[in-house]
Amino acid sequence: MQNNAQQTETENLIEFEARIERGDKIEPGDWMPDEYRRQLIRMISQHAHSEVVGMLPEGEWLTHAPSLQRKLVLMAKVQDEAGHGQYLYHAAESLGVDRKELLDALLEGKAKYSSIFNYPSLTWADVAWIGWLVDGAAIKNQTMLTKASYGPYSRAMVRICAEETFHFKQGKQMIYQYVQGTPKQQAMVQESFDRWWWPTLMMFGPPDSESPNSAQLTKWGVKSKTNDELRQEFIDETVTEVLALGLTVPDPDLRYDEASEHWITGPINWDEFWAVVKGNGPMNKERLAAKQDAHDDGQWVREAMVAYAEKQKAFA
Amino acid sequence: MTDTQWPRYEVFKQDKPNKPHEAIGTVHATDDELALQNARDVHVRRPDCHSLWVASETKILKRTAQQIEQNPTQQDAEPQTGYSQTDQLETYQIFCKKTLRRTMVAAVHVGTVDASTPQHALEIARGSTDLVADPNKIYVWWVVPDRDIIRSEDENIASLFEPAIGKTYKQQSRYGLIQPEAQT
Repeated sequence: MQNNAQQTETENLIEFEARIERGDKIEPGDWMPDEYRRQLIRMISQHAHSEVVGMLPEGEWLTHAPSLQRKLVLMAKVQDEAGHGQYLYHAAESLGVDRKELLDALLEGKAKYSSIFNYPSLTWADVAWIGWLVDGAAIKNQTMLTKASYGPYSRAMVRICAEETFHFKQGKQMIYQYVQGTPKQQAMVQESFDRWWWPTLMMFGPPDSESPNSAQLTKWGVKSKTNDELRQEFIDETVTEVLALGLTVPDPDLRYDEASEHWITGPINWDEFWAVVKGNGPMNKERLAAKQDAHDDGQWVREAMVAYAEKQKAFA
Repeated sequence: MTDTQWPRYEVFKQDKPNKPHEAIGTVHATDDELALQNARDVHVRRPDCHSLWVASETKILKRTAQQIEQNPTQQDAEPQTGYSQTDQLETYQIFCKKTLRRTMVAAVHVGTVDASTPQHALEIARGSTDLVADPNKIYVWWVVPDRDIIRSEDENIASLFEPAIGKTYKQQSRYGLIQPEAQT
């Protein structure tokens, strides 16, 4: 009996890997290795946490937007991030994990979210650069993930990418407007870029040589490009355009390599990256405190909704 | 139900009147009315939407082709329709996943079947070419009692879905191509 069970397990794994090889999706209810399920729950839930924590640096500027139009645009963007968080939490839940478990992991500091959101949004230009740089980097990563083997994650990525393009463009449009504006606006844009450039490059994750989960995720069709590949694509596209606008890049070692046709940056401060990932960035404590407050402050609302629903059922 | 554990509903969106409803994701909600509202807020921030359906996941029988093959008469984990087997027939809505390639939807509405239980409805759907050309080429089947589907009302189309259409500032196409050469 045991041999039969093992054989079925092996057969299942062979069929699973063949499906991925063919480019077919794995859907909820399909057999999958425990490790695939575990890795995806980790990856998708951390992606979801990033969306909702990402609402915070921009949410701060809603009441300080310089015009009603900018406020409406920013509000739409922040609402999108909330929606994206929901798409992703639900994709994670389809793998058999509860929302409460995921939220507890975030609030207890056990789950990670994208390191970029541990930086403060100090000026209005930060809102613009978050759109161009941070969402631009997210689009690079998420475009790759649209090909992910797990159906619900792949579908969430396609929908997020479509909406994220609006985020990217509205940020870019602001930068283009301000670099052609007053000296004060131009200075604000440059100062903000100097603070967001390096952390954005770190968004793509540690160098390939230090990325422990990548090999397995690639084998099972979740990732198809490496951290360094995506990072380099982003650098090449962004540096050219930023320099064309008359801005400078805060990197004295930056040079264009004619042979490879790539922009080569100076060394990335990986000590800073690991410090932020481990909880010692500028805003880690504040971000988690804000999420904890939101959870606590909302408790009476959630309880009221449950009480109302149960009362309706009792009288049905 | 606790304040941090809410029931989950599948959401089905119909983009235009002549297109089928498509399963596009799930929402949590404390009741049916809120489920529709949450479905609109999470899944219809942008056009197009003509109709939304939601159904509690506890009412949906889902079977993959793999599950059917390995366990054709699986009786455990039946949905809680609160319905005991009698000779009475009721209407079931059937949804199918027709491809394992990348698509935007988990399942597409293909039609209705009258049956006495969800399992019975699934057997009828799988044995017929009325709903799909080749039922053997379906990867996932969903069966939902019609009475367990909560639908947006036609008279509410304007108030539910028009705001998404009017707010063009959140459409990426409105921003066009932003490049250095275009700015002079």
